[in-house]
Amino acid sequence: MTAEIKSKEVVIADGAELIRVENLNKHYNELHALDGITETIYKGEVVVVIGPSGSGKSTFLRSLNLLEVPTSGKIIFAGVDITDPKTDLNRHRQKMGMVFQHFNLFPHKSILENITLAPVILQGMKKEEANELGMKLLQRVGLQEKATAYPSQLSGGQKQRIAIVRALAMNPEVMLFDEPTSALDPEMVGEVLDLMRELARDGMTMVVVTHEMGFAKEVATRVLFMDEGKIKEQAAPLEFFENPKNPRLQDFLSKVLI
Amino acid sequence: MQAWVAEKWTWFSGQIYDNFIKDDRYLYITNGLKATLVITFSAVILGIVIGFLIATIRSTYDKTGKLKFANAICSIYLTVIRGTPVVVQLLIIYFVIFGSVNISKIIVAIIAFGINSGAYVAEIFRSGIMSIDEGQFEAGRSLGFSYVQTMRYIVMPQAFKNVLPALGNEFIVLLKETSVAGYIALQDLAKGGDIIRSRTFSAFFPLITVAIIYLIMVIIFSRLVKLLERRLRKSDR
Repeated sequence: MTAEIKSKEVVIADGAELIRVENLNKHYNELHALDGITETIYKGEVVVVIGPSGSGKSTFLRSLNLLEVPTSGKIIFAGVDITDPKTDLNRHRQKMGMVFQHFNLFPHKSILENITLAPVILQGMKKEEANELGMKLLQRVGLQEKATAYPSQLSGGQKQRIAIVRALAMNPEVMLFDEPTSALDPEMVGEVLDLMRELARDGMTMVVVTHEMGFAKEVATRVLFMDEGKIKEQAAPLEFFENPKNPRLQDFLSKVLI
Repeated sequence: MQAWVAEKWTWFSGQIYDNFIKDDRYLYITNGLKATLVITFSAVILGIVIGFLIATIRSTYDKTGKLKFANAICSIYLTVIRGTPVVVQLLIIYFVIFGSVNISKIIVAIIAFGINSGAYVAEIFRSGIMSIDEGQFEAGRSLGFSYVQTMRYIVMPQAFKNVLPALGNEFIVLLKETSVAGYIALQDLAKGGDIIRSRTFSAFFPLITVAIIYLIMVIIFSRLVKLLERRLRKSDR
C-alpha cells in the first residue's frame, strides 16, 4: 500500500499500527478466497469492509484472529506475528473481541455468566469482581434487568448487544464485527448500530463487515471494497461513496440502497 | 363353583410355595435382581467413561485433524464391539481373557457390558458434540479459550444435556442386555428364574415373574427418562 492512500486515515487514527496483514492468501480447494491481501489497521480506526457476497470480506475478517487459518501470509497484531505457530494465539485472541452474525451466545449460561465466563477463567478475575464488571456493562446497554435471564429469552437485538459487551468484558484492543446486523429483524438493527456508534465514539478500534451503508458513511474512518478476494478500492467514506473509481464498486453501489 | 375356585387356589398357592418360598427360593430372584442392578449401573458408568473418552478423541480428530492414531484405534474398537454379539464378547472376556485368572463373575460382567456399552455411548456423545453449532465453538475460541477449555466450558455442557435422554435409553437397553450374563453361570435375575425352573420343573411362575420384574423396571426408567426430557426441553425455552 502506498503512503498517499494512507495519509488521510493516519491523521484520523492516532497513528500506531495495530494489525498488519501481509500478503494474505486463503484457498478453499479451487477457490481463491483471499488473494494476496496486504493491509494495515491503525489504532482508533473504524474500518468498514463492504463487498458482494463471496467477495472474501468475511474470510478476511475471520482471518484477523485466525478463526480462518490463511493458506499463506502473515498477521501482525500489536507487533506480534500471530500466524507464527510458536505464538500463544489464545492470549492474543483475548485482545481481539469478535461479534458474529448469529450472536453465538452460550445458551446454557445466564446473560451475566455469558459476560463473566471469559474474564473469570482466562484472566483469573474474582467472581464478585467479574459480576460487578458484568453488571456495569449490562447497565451500559440498558439490559441490567436481564442479568439472570437466558439467551433464549432475549430478542435478537438484545442478544447482539450482549454479544458485544461479552467481547468488551475482555477489554479488547480491537473489535471485529462479522455482519452484526444481518440476522436481525429490521426494527432491531438500530439499537445494535447505536451501540457500535457509541463504541466508535469512545475510540475503540473496529473492523466491521456489514451491508449497512448508512453506518459506513456515518461512522467509518475508512471504507474498504472487497471483490474476488482483493481489496479493490479504499477511501474515507465521503470520497468512497461520492466518487467511486473502480467500476465494480460503481456497479455495486448502484445496486445497493443507500 | 366354590369347589373349583378352592381347587385352583390350592394349586396356585402350592405353585407359589414351591417356586418361591420352599428352600428360600425367592432368594434366587432377589439376589439375582441385586446382581442385575449392580452390573447394569456399574457397566453404564464404565460405558460413559469409555464413551466420553472415545467421543472426545473422535470429535477432536474430526474438528482439528489431531490424534490420528488414537482415532484409528477408536474406530477399530467401535467396529469390533458393534460388529459382534455381546454374548460372544462376554464369553471371550470370561473364558479367554480372564480364563486363567480367578476373578469375580460380576466384575467380568461389568467389564464386558461396560466395554460393549462404551461403544454405543461413544457414538451418542459424538452425535451430541457434533450437534452443537460451530458458532459456539468459534465464540469460545474468539474470546481466547483454548480448544480444551472451549470443549469443557462451552461445548460439552451443552452436548451432555442434549444426550441425557439417549443415555437413559442406553441404560434401559443395557438393563435388558445383562440378562445374558447367565452364559458365564452368573446368577443374575434371568438366571435366578431359570434356576428355580430347573428345580421345580414349573416354568410358568419363575419365568413370568422375572419378565414382570424386568418390565416394571423398564417402565419406571422409561418414565424417568421422559420426565428428564420434558424438564430439559422446558429449560430450553
